[in-house]
Amino acid sequence: MSLPAHVYQVYIAATPEQVWAAITDSEWTRRYFHTTSFVEPPRRGKPYRTVGADGRPAIEGMIEEMQPPADGSPGRFVQTWHTLYDAALEHEPPSRVEWTIENAGDGLTRVRLVHGNLDQSPLTWENVRNGWVWILDSMKTLLETGNPLPRVRADEGVAEIVSS
Amino acid sequence: MEQGSEVFRALADPTRRALLDNLFHRDGQTLSELCVEFPEMTRFGVMKHLAVLAEANLVNTARQGRTKRHYLNPVPIEQVANRWISKYAARFAAALVALDDQVATDQEKETLRRAVPG
Repeated sequence: MSLPAHVYQVYIAATPEQVWAAITDSEWTRRYFHTTSFVEPPRRGKPYRTVGADGRPAIEGMIEEMQPPADGSPGRFVQTWHTLYDAALEHEPPSRVEWTIENAGDGLTRVRLVHGNLDQSPLTWENVRNGWVWILDSMKTLLETGNPLPRVRADEGVAEIVSS
Repeated sequence: MEQGSEVFRALADPTRRALLDNLFHRDGQTLSELCVEFPEMTRFGVMKHLAVLAEANLVNTARQGRTKRHYLNPVPIEQVANRWISKYAARFAAALVALDDQVATDQEKETLRRAVPG
């Protein structure tokens, strides 16, 4: 069975440079990306690993492209993606995540995320399907308001209010 | 762009919602594939609806060689949910709790009423 890529896009009221930092700099990622950060600053052609605030491994892979946005040319950050945060997902082969960061005018930056090469990774395909949507919204919220989305998902939030 | 009003306008049309549902079940379809799924619509009609969805950032396109594929982009819907619905969902949840209490009280009264012959 052939699984399509996830192709997600969000417009953020920030500069391409700020968005680039939010994706590649641990000071930013740990604030919206389920507390994860890069163990070493990512470098093109090098392996990378991210860990959660508790030190548990999250993701590992290779940085295949790392081209910051410059005047008129979009930023590109391409990483292979091997999940470590879940035993079942860990058995699936690496997939590929491609970020494209582009000035969209009017003070907006367009972020496009393509998560592909998921043909052999149906569990990862399902797992990241909603995961990325939340991450992208959380990144947008952090860059635009200075605060990330609350850690609880909206649906869990309701349950929390009900039980409190 | 993804201003809320464009998202709501795009979602207001049942055909466009059906297109999104269709992509949810099979993402990455070409225009021709979508036309097969919606035989009651002309190719131009499908294109027009896809353009409105793309304008609201609810559908992305990506080219693979000469093939243009359409992908569902749920991010603006998540934004609407997080910025709008959750704000009211808290109240809604509180209203449900109140309703639950009221039903319990009413049931107790009913039980009492039945227990007392008269």
